Amino acid sequence: MRATIAAVEPILELKFGQVGIANLRLNVNDAEALREEIAQKVAAAPQLFGRAPVILDLSRLPQLPSAAEAQTFLDAIREAGMLPVGLSYSTTENEALAKELGLPLLAKFRAVYERQNDEGAADIAPPPAPSRPKVVPKAAEEAPVRAPTPAAIAASSLRHGKAVRSGQQVYARGRDLIVNATVGNGAEVIADGSIHIYGRLSGRALAGAQGDAAARIYCMDFQAELVSIAGRYRVFEDLPPELRGKPVQAWLDGEKLLIEALVP
Amino acid sequence: MTENIVVTSGKGGVGKTTTSASIAVGLAKRGKKVAVIDFDVGLRNLDLIMGCERRVVYDFVNVIHNECALKQALIKDKRFENLYVLAASQTRDKDALTQDGVQRVLEELAAEEFDFVICDSPAGIEKGAFLAMYFADRAIVVVNPEVSSVRDSDRILGLLSSKTKRAEAGNGKVQEHLLLTRYNPARVATGDMMSIGDVEEILGIKVVGVIPESEGVLAASNSGVPVILDDTSNAGQAYEDAVARILGDEREMRFTEAPKKGFFQRVFGG
Repeated sequence: MRATIAAVEPILELKFGQVGIANLRLNVNDAEALREEIAQKVAAAPQLFGRAPVILDLSRLPQLPSAAEAQTFLDAIREAGMLPVGLSYSTTENEALAKELGLPLLAKFRAVYERQNDEGAADIAPPPAPSRPKVVPKAAEEAPVRAPTPAAIAASSLRHGKAVRSGQQVYARGRDLIVNATVGNGAEVIADGSIHIYGRLSGRALAGAQGDAAARIYCMDFQAELVSIAGRYRVFEDLPPELRGKPVQAWLDGEKLLIEALVP
Repeated sequence: MTENIVVTSGKGGVGKTTTSASIAVGLAKRGKKVAVIDFDVGLRNLDLIMGCERRVVYDFVNVIHNECALKQALIKDKRFENLYVLAASQTRDKDALTQDGVQRVLEELAAEEFDFVICDSPAGIEKGAFLAMYFADRAIVVVNPEVSSVRDSDRILGLLSSKTKRAEAGNGKVQEHLLLTRYNPARVATGDMMSIGDVEEILGIKVVGVIPESEGVLAASNSGVPVILDDTSNAGQAYEDAVARILGDEREMRFTEAPKKGFFQRVFGG
């Protein structure tokens, strides 16, 4: 009898929804001060802050606290009247800490933030990240092919519909770049992921700018001055006749940057 | 002893870059070790005139910001092994240049025992032009025989005598050379164009060379071969003379007279 009811009516239902939640970023390693500060906030606006769920962000602290220290922060927050429900930011150490504390790690939280910040910076603007080939090999050595974080996968590619003219730069931070136009001489397109150009590439294309060796470059009409993937680059003083004007792809095979015409 | 020579004008389009390229090549041809630097950040052209635009990986701005070593950014000329080009950055603006950075690059070039560093100035009198001239020992002021160019050159000559390191330190003034370009003797003869004498009188200095208006210049620019390497063009030969005079030779001015018409041409027109 019981079995039949269970079959009709499940014990639980899992539903996903989006909620707004506060990110509590800790700047100072001081649980007592934290408790006072939060207690003041809760007292000032009990409707807003009383029993409000918060995500604790430890990224600003000079160093990641131990599990015991982190527990004192969580206790302080709880005592002051808010409810910590997880940790934000996803580094490996942070992940271990979250496990130890029995709390979820909300990496997605950061991804949302980053994308919002990116929208403004994604247009033609010099990337704050090193765009030059030289700096990149160093990054590649230190952190060989940083595994794409869930955030990087979640981010959609940046689409650029206008011609990229001489002197302009387009940078797709943490994602792929799609250009539906020409990249002129003296123009630069840069992406942390792959680059797709549905037009002529006469300027420079730098994929895997943060060291992703799996990034590739595709273009419809190859006339490039320079292509680079994860810091390995090639300059084309004379374009090889078998590549000039052809649709090509470029990728890294170990240390070697290979370029080949795309044959349909 | 490295000599820094700025090629400047104030006005745009008078032939600074063409002059920088030809003077650099002319000096290199005589065995001097020469570097030519494009200060026109954001609107670089020297690499095109020198024919090395596809070999630019690092540029002047990268060196200034310590993003690469100077050696990595110096592009060796294919024709003369003692000639190097330092290209400007196309994706930045003039603010990417700093006085300390420029000084450091010039000091490094001096340490590498370059005989001459040619600084190709951008037009205008703003930061790029200021930094191109600031460390100069000599200046080649490029002027066209027309009033606006002459006035702008006058302004530049004033700046050379006040806004340069030499002027500020008071250890001798910047040696000034006037180079008259796009000179058309036939139009001077008809009174359309200012003469050499007119320009020298207004600016108060002698010209070091007169480059005739020539079709060779356009062809040379488009093919990436500095016009001085074109022996058949008058402009190329005139640059050759100018380089010799800059190095202290005495040479007769050429191509400054309108070609005399022959008897038949005078009778029948032509």
